[in-house]
Amino acid sequence: MADVATPKKTPTDFLNVILGQSVVVKLNSGIVYKGVLACLDGYMNIALEQTEEYANGQLKNKYGDAFIRGNNVLYISATE
Amino acid sequence: MADSTPVDVPAAPATATHSVEQPLDLVRLSLDENVYVKLRGDRELRGKLHAFDQHLNMVLGDVEENITNVELHPETKEEVVTTATRRVDMLFVRGDGVILWYKPIGSSGATVV
Repeated sequence: MADVATPKKTPTDFLNVILGQSVVVKLNSGIVYKGVLACLDGYMNIALEQTEEYANGQLKNKYGDAFIRGNNVLYISATE
Repeated sequence: MADSTPVDVPAAPATATHSVEQPLDLVRLSLDENVYVKLRGDRELRGKLHAFDQHLNMVLGDVEENITNVELHPETKEEVVTTATRRVDMLFVRGDGVILWYKPIGSSGATVV
């Protein structure tokens, strides 16, 4: 039975909550992107602002705006 | 279809630009500009974006492709990094190879740390 009273009950609701926040996006390849989540769509394509690219924990690159194709995404995590 | 995505964006957050409401809008705003594309297999493309679609299939013009190859030396176990570069006048890129796409800051390229 659907519990209507429970907020944030779908993954999409969580994603809407963290829009505009700082996030960590990890790809299947292990590369990590940190930045501000500008927007995302149903494919989990992601637009990040102030993006930093980390490989093996080391900062590799910085991009102003970056687009990540959704099929590569392992997880999206909200940070402080 | 891409036009009716399940992720509904309610009020746009203050950090988002008004013209960018979908990630693909970012790509749309860069038509006829120089872009960087990170591909599977440690390949990077840089070229002028002529066209794209919802799969991120792209047509790039005046392309420079950088292929990075990392091998472990069989005896010393050191990483040997080699890069190869080639130029292509016009290139069709199949979208499923795309990992990341970005516009270089300024015209010279992204800031490499």
